[in-house]
Amino acid sequence: MSTETPGPDITSRPRGRAARERMYRYVLLLCASLSILVTLSIVVLLARDAVTFFTIVDPLAFFGGTEFQINRDQFGLLPLLSGTLIVTVISAAIALPTGVAAAVYLSEYASDRARSILKPGLEILAGIPTVVYGIFALVYVTPFLRAIGIPVNTFNILSASILVGIMIIPMVSSLSEDAMSSVPDSLRQAGYGVGATKYEVTKGIVVPAAASGIFSSFILALSRAIGETMIVVVAAGSRAQMLNLSEPLQNVYEGFQPMTAAMVQINSADSVSQIGFTSMFAIGLTLFAVTFLLNLASNRIAARYREEYE
Amino acid sequence: MATGESQQRWHGEDSDVNHLRGRAFEATCLAATAFALVAVLVLLLFVANDAFRPFSADVGWLATYVVTVLVPLAALAVYYYRLDDPAGEVAYVTSGLPVVGLLITGGFAVLFLELLSVFEWFALTLSLAVAGGVVVAHGRVRPNAALERLAVVVLAPVATVFGLPPSEFNWLVTDAASALGLDFGLYYRLSSLRELVLWLPYIPTEWIMLLLSVTVPVAGAAGWFVGERRNDRRDGLVVVGLTLLAAALGLVVGPLLGVGVLGWILLVTFALLPLGVYVEGVVRRGEGTSGLAFPVVAVLGVLAGALVVRYAGFAAPDPWLDWGFLTSVHSRTAADAGIYPAMVGSVMMLIVIVLSTFPVGVGAAIYLEEYAPSSGWGGRFVTLVEINIGNLAGVPSVVYGLLGLALFIRILTWPQGSVIVAGLAVGLLILPIVIISAQEAVRSVPDSFRQASYGMGATRWQTIRQVVLPEAMPGILTGTILALGRAIGETAPLLMIGAAASVRLAPNGFFDTSSMMPRQIYSWSSELEPAFRHGVLAAGVITLLAVLLVMNATAIVIRNRYQRQG
Repeated sequence: MSTETPGPDITSRPRGRAARERMYRYVLLLCASLSILVTLSIVVLLARDAVTFFTIVDPLAFFGGTEFQINRDQFGLLPLLSGTLIVTVISAAIALPTGVAAAVYLSEYASDRARSILKPGLEILAGIPTVVYGIFALVYVTPFLRAIGIPVNTFNILSASILVGIMIIPMVSSLSEDAMSSVPDSLRQAGYGVGATKYEVTKGIVVPAAASGIFSSFILALSRAIGETMIVVVAAGSRAQMLNLSEPLQNVYEGFQPMTAAMVQINSADSVSQIGFTSMFAIGLTLFAVTFLLNLASNRIAARYREEYE
Repeated sequence: MATGESQQRWHGEDSDVNHLRGRAFEATCLAATAFALVAVLVLLLFVANDAFRPFSADVGWLATYVVTVLVPLAALAVYYYRLDDPAGEVAYVTSGLPVVGLLITGGFAVLFLELLSVFEWFALTLSLAVAGGVVVAHGRVRPNAALERLAVVVLAPVATVFGLPPSEFNWLVTDAASALGLDFGLYYRLSSLRELVLWLPYIPTEWIMLLLSVTVPVAGAAGWFVGERRNDRRDGLVVVGLTLLAAALGLVVGPLLGVGVLGWILLVTFALLPLGVYVEGVVRRGEGTSGLAFPVVAVLGVLAGALVVRYAGFAAPDPWLDWGFLTSVHSRTAADAGIYPAMVGSVMMLIVIVLSTFPVGVGAAIYLEEYAPSSGWGGRFVTLVEINIGNLAGVPSVVYGLLGLALFIRILTWPQGSVIVAGLAVGLLILPIVIISAQEAVRSVPDSFRQASYGMGATRWQTIRQVVLPEAMPGILTGTILALGRAIGETAPLLMIGAAASVRLAPNGFFDTSSMMPRQIYSWSSELEPAFRHGVLAAGVITLLAVLLVMNATAIVIRNRYQRQG
């Protein structure tokens, strides 16, 4: 054994290599863990100031207050929620039906060539910066609404909501289309086999089968609309007011201030009290919690439908 | 049951199949698909009209350019689309490459105008090159000392660029060592190679430094690429030689063309070199050569149009978006307002984002796809990370702004609205997008590649570095460029971290307060004057969208090229 001359030893690992392999693994693990760290730091840092805020302002007065005026240290969330609610409802009314119909067309009807134009087109829409959508709303859509006889103010929630709706259409359509495309073809064939028309197959089989995916895309879109900032900051004005329940239609002509816009306004105000500054974090934490829960719900639903067909 | 004759009901049995309903449904769906596209397209046309004001020109001017440029190009486009698909792609790339090259040239020009002199750049690249040389040399001399090499990889660039130990951390070494009773004698910091170069009494002329520090590396990389691709060293050398020759020609040509020697060298490096390599490849393959006609026709058309217009004396339009807008600073009067400092701020922000987000994002994606355990506590952790990344991608951008405000400005007390804070806040925002797209790219590398690599005895890290990463790189790049496109348009985080509404000076360093393009556009949107609202604002929007368009088009070209090969 000892007489053999040691040949090139191809099985032994050079010293340090195992350690290096381990170290790369840990460095990469660190990169992956960073995302957890980001979430934690969002929660911790937002909560830190939010807690300061809630020690001074009663949480009930915050979540139930009907008056939001930072100059007068009035921090009621309800006016901001009204703004967010209007934006969400109008944009959903535009985006959900349109997005699903677009998804149906792309997944069931479109020729390859039409799809090759329409799909990247919608992707491009999703890539346009939101501040640009805001400018569309303020400079072009509001005057247009006035020209066709809708009595909107210069800053109004209607044109902002319309543009938010247009902005989230691509999100609804692409996620819904994924859901519809993953409906197995055998289900469609079965439908045709009993003599159903394409319309009946689409309406009666594909859409119901993809329902959970479509639903998850709805939730995600709502979460986007709730968190949308620049469109409402540019076009919806800065009047935090309650919903006018006696004249519901009147609401949309006026300016509102959703939660996101209020945060921007507090941050860019010239002189704002310490407590006003911390209220921004309380609003931010509320916004984060709402969108986080919606996203979580959407992922759960999407995960369930994936199990069904794979 | 007993009713043997009971009617089985079939679809469409009671009446003729109703086609009308289906047709109407299809038409409705098509209309819905087109709705958003048409609406945004119309709005874009309005903005473009405000920005370019084509109707302020004489009818003759418009007619001339329609005849000399638009009609021939449209004819060519239809021809490519109907009859010659590969030529269409060639036309697309040959027209796009110079645009991207010009943008990069512009980026470098801004770099040298605002951030550092050519000399400082030269010193920086030289010291980085020396550091690279040290690492390679160490690998040759001690191929098995893996851990040692890791230390070298980290320390060599630090030593050559910052000196040993960097002044800020001087106490770390000397004080900590003296506390332990050791004395390294490092009371004064050692100067870095970069600083030594900067102290040189004799400095080469600027164009030589630029040639050495920009053209030589880029041409070298292109030459290596061509050599590898064709298995022919000589072709690569020809590429390098021709590039250097063309760049050196700038001594004569640059001043003549009015771009200066330095401008010419940058143009050759970033526009002519890639274009030349691509065109040569197209001609050699002989596939889609007719696509080369497209840019030629475009240039000739513009020249012919210019001749006719000058001869006939047609008045040109007076657009808001012109050279002056791109190169001047913000002003209270609409006619003088420009976007230049904001553009510089955006470019510098992108640099911060790329440096901070790309490595972390790709690293996380590699861990999740290649290392992640699928069971036990580790597996649970990985599932948590994946869910978390998905959720982070949906967190509103304004919340990231709040995070940036709380973390970087209030805790780390970095200057409000500085480029680095903006870059890091927006970088965190696009991190989940980068991770998700990089994961997809890594996942799409076939497992057989990995097995083959393991079969030859490669370790996991070697497999990743030599096999998986190169294979996944086009996908990773595509995803990253798209994410950067998202980053450059993000406004809400910039508002939260207090980016300047408008600055008169472009930032000179990463800790300077700056404005960025979308931030500047937002502050224009609150000007009430019509000249701002329908002029400057539209020009800013079009500039931002044009940058985005170029980025997206680049990403799509990369994706198409490599998807086909794969």
